[in-house]
Amino acid sequence: MNEQDFAVGASGLTKTFTLEWTRKKLLALDGLDMQVRRGEVFGLLGPNGSGKSTTMKLILGLIRPTSGMIKVFGEPSGSLASRRQLGFLPENPYFPGFLSAREVLNYYGKLVDLCGKQLRERVEELIELVGLPLAADRALKTYSKGMLQRIGLAQALLHDPDLLLLDEPTAGVDPIGSRQIRDLILALKKRGKTIIFSSHLLEQVQEVSDRVIILHRGKKMQEGTLDELLSVQGQSQFTVSGLTPELQEKVAALLKSEGAELVNVSHPKQKLEDYFIRSVSK
Amino acid sequence: MKNSLRHIFVIAGNTFTEAIRQKVLYVLVVFCLIMLGGSSFYTQFDFRGDDFKFMKDLAYAAISVIGLLVSLLGAAMLIPAELEKRTIYTLLSKPVRKFEFIVGKYLGLVLLLTLFVTLMAGIFMLAVWGHESSLTAGILKASQGHPTEFQQQMINEFRAGAYDPAMWQALVLIWAKLCLVTVISVLFSTVASSTVFIVSCTLFIYLIGHLQSVARDFWFSQSGGASWLTTAFLAAVSLFIPDFQTFNLIDEIISGNPVLWQNTWHILLYSAVYTVIALAVSALLFENREL
Repeated sequence: MNEQDFAVGASGLTKTFTLEWTRKKLLALDGLDMQVRRGEVFGLLGPNGSGKSTTMKLILGLIRPTSGMIKVFGEPSGSLASRRQLGFLPENPYFPGFLSAREVLNYYGKLVDLCGKQLRERVEELIELVGLPLAADRALKTYSKGMLQRIGLAQALLHDPDLLLLDEPTAGVDPIGSRQIRDLILALKKRGKTIIFSSHLLEQVQEVSDRVIILHRGKKMQEGTLDELLSVQGQSQFTVSGLTPELQEKVAALLKSEGAELVNVSHPKQKLEDYFIRSVSK
Repeated sequence: MKNSLRHIFVIAGNTFTEAIRQKVLYVLVVFCLIMLGGSSFYTQFDFRGDDFKFMKDLAYAAISVIGLLVSLLGAAMLIPAELEKRTIYTLLSKPVRKFEFIVGKYLGLVLLLTLFVTLMAGIFMLAVWGHESSLTAGILKASQGHPTEFQQQMINEFRAGAYDPAMWQALVLIWAKLCLVTVISVLFSTVASSTVFIVSCTLFIYLIGHLQSVARDFWFSQSGGASWLTTAFLAAVSLFIPDFQTFNLIDEIISGNPVLWQNTWHILLYSAVYTVIALAVSALLFENREL
């Protein structure tokens, strides 16, 4: 594979910050190698201070690496060519509070070189997509955190970029909104978009990611597909209906006679999120 | 190039909208309006026929001082706010160059100052017109509509004092001075994040700028007697700090001394050149700043 086949390619990426007064060095990212393929959903995981935001900023070109290199679709990160192909949703996005959602989208739309009818149509389409048509003309200072997050997502999608960087996209969003964002990520993936996102909600990452990287104190601890990382090797799982205690005993005896061992029998549980959404949508 | 200009104008428009929705601006504008509106009130005291000179003195001082606060606070508040609230991350994730951001912010503030000076000039003109009308009406009433030659001369003098075309020259110079202060504030805001620090540094440069010509004359005239440190300091002040003393032409205009438009054009050209250089340096500094 050459570098054009990767949405993001980084090798030996290191970032050291110098603290302002003490001049102490702070290692934020330590020799990160990372390749994100086109069209995949890539999760960045790690506790606070693990280097997730630093990685995002390096992809955007807002900061420069101390050593190593990073490219976006084969272009140097931060170049105009790379920024034309990416959309970014920052963590806890903040927008000028005196503007309405429609005004903010118009403002950012003009900065991604949309204009006239094309801009107007795109803005309306995105307001509809993120579910804010009724609040589109209200000043953003009256918006809840979740609503701001949706506008943040809409501005990231304005120029229909091939790569989306989402920093904690569901922070502060209610479960229904969170589900909508998850569905949107999956819909964008179907359209061939590449998505890199960070989240503290591991279950959510598990639901949408093709591959994840786990960072800790600036170092890459793990990388791989969820199957590779999470499958318990040497064990299998069946989901059966109509399993009576007698039948269960027979199955256990059969398994034992064949040299296998029944490790656990339990009732499958529905997810709290599904249960909540079904309850409130009744 | 076309895209760059478009980005600059879009950012300038947004900066202007953001600025005019700041409450602090309205406080300053109201304060200025009270001073301008009140200028005709003070003329009830005896100024020995110098009513309009007094009104101009007061109005230009009000526009200069309040305008200085607007230009000092404008860049010092708006640019660090973009960094603090991280709106700049969203903005620079778009295909926008950092220099477009800086120039756009500056032009937005220039637009704000233009509106401010125009609005204040309009209010001042109204106050002057009101006072001139009341003085003229008083004379006409006393003469029952048939002023004597002396009274007509007085009316003509009032009108000449009130509607002095040199007033526009003074307003243009005040506007240029405020734009120059703004560019210095923009320059500091590209390297610092604290509003207090940016305002203090800009004010410091503004004050030193009033002594720039003294430093320059001393630098040119010294004949090897001064230490290298003094020479370096004088050279730095002469080369890098704008000469705000040159705007003292405003005082000449207020005093009624004729000032050629040619001199005003020279000052405008000087301000424009300094602004372009300061914006280029700001863009360079901001380009290398990690966000």
